[in-house]
Amino acid sequence: MDGIQAWFVQQFTELKDKFILCFIDGDRWQWIFDGLLNTLKITLFAGLIGVLIGIIVASVRSSYDKNSESLALRGGFGYHLLRFINGICQLYLTVIRGTPVVVQLMIMYFIILKSSTNGVFVAVITFGINSGAYVAEIFRSGIMAVDAGQFEAGRSLGFNYVQTMRYIIIPQAFKTVLPTLCNEFIALLKETSVAGYVGISDLTKAGDLIRGRTFEAFMPLIAVAIIYLVLVVILTRLVGVLERRLRRSER
Amino acid sequence: MSVLEVKNIQKSFGKTEVLKNISFSLEKGEVLSIIGSSGSGKTTLLRCLNFLEFAEGGTISVNGEKIYDGSEKRSMKENEIRMKRLHFGLVFQDFNLFPQYNVLKNVMLAPTLLKLGTEEEIEAGARALIARVGLSDKTESYPCELSGGQKQRVAIARALALNPDILCFDEPTSALDPELTGEVLKVIKSLKNGDSTMIVVTHEMGFAKEVSDKVIFMADGIIEEEGTPEDVFGNPKSAKMRAFLSKSFENI
Repeated sequence: MDGIQAWFVQQFTELKDKFILCFIDGDRWQWIFDGLLNTLKITLFAGLIGVLIGIIVASVRSSYDKNSESLALRGGFGYHLLRFINGICQLYLTVIRGTPVVVQLMIMYFIILKSSTNGVFVAVITFGINSGAYVAEIFRSGIMAVDAGQFEAGRSLGFNYVQTMRYIIIPQAFKTVLPTLCNEFIALLKETSVAGYVGISDLTKAGDLIRGRTFEAFMPLIAVAIIYLVLVVILTRLVGVLERRLRRSER
Repeated sequence: MSVLEVKNIQKSFGKTEVLKNISFSLEKGEVLSIIGSSGSGKTTLLRCLNFLEFAEGGTISVNGEKIYDGSEKRSMKENEIRMKRLHFGLVFQDFNLFPQYNVLKNVMLAPTLLKLGTEEEIEAGARALIARVGLSDKTESYPCELSGGQKQRVAIARALALNPDILCFDEPTSALDPELTGEVLKVIKSLKNGDSTMIVVTHEMGFAKEVSDKVIFMADGIIEEEGTPEDVFGNPKSAKMRAFLSKSFENI
């Protein structure tokens, strides 16, 4: 009995010592905290940029899909302009979705934004542009999933294309894409963990730095994993609440 | 002067000719029923009138003004089409109500966006229309809470909200249970007494016979027979019309 108790006490003391070594000594919790802030900053702003790019690209692509027939019929400048912009959007999607985000990050950091000393800024731009490609296709799938009759109802009531999208299609599409969009934000949050590749001290990098300094892997890495998990759970819950609120007009 | 005059409308999808030289006219306050078997081009004709499809040839005139010419369709601007579309209202087979808005908002949305009056005027007008289709107790309901017949009546109110010259119905009861078709047909009938000009594409022969001033029977993209309901139903001249009629009534 005493032996078991002593074993537990010993284990606990060891854990406590490791905890103190990893997080308390030299205020190393501050590294985790700063890393977490950077991770949140990158995710939030990259997410916003992603949504913005996503809306623009999805609008262009679905306008082209929905209207190219009637525009081609009448031809003219508008048709060629739309076709050109649609081509650019397609190129963007191909390049961004066709290359790894780490490679994009390194290209951005070491080549395109070489003069920038603000790593977080570079990460925001890179992850924003990357996420935009995925969000665009998510939005487009939502728009295309809305029944064609809804477009026709809008048009038969004299709405123009923008009004039809704004008041009829997008509210319905948004509801459809919300779970997938949440998925994309979860992926984005975790993807930012590669920011350490170019020396940005995000959450993962902070844990790794502590590991390097203390030669203690278990504590910092498990702590980092738990923090990511908690963030994802909170995000999922928030989206769940929003989803239930939006579904109120059904059943 | 005819409120609507359609001349030589032609439309094909790829190599299939769906409408071959369709011409007819309609006087104010008249109800025209278009009947015919599936694939005869009835719905396409209605969609051409509402500019959901663009006819390749022919003209459409409303109140004596030519609003569409198939040979000049290339030069039509989007806004121009939009304004001309407002001569027509359209009620769809599967309602196409906006699921995210309640009944009142469904009816009010179009006049609000087109700025046809103050908020109060539009709301009063919408409530009056909803009362006219007998749904005053449902103004706050969402489409998913309504039966098919009620949805279609809301759709009629929504189309009427823009006060179109001609109201078109595309098989308004085809998606409904037999016991629900009655309430929709009753509303359409009541509109006739209110002096609306209407075009109804329908499979309800009894309704076409009773309500229309004029019946067009379409087959294979042409008008096979046209005239008063008495003539078309009582004394059909074409063999196709006779075959269609005997098939339509034999199941009953």
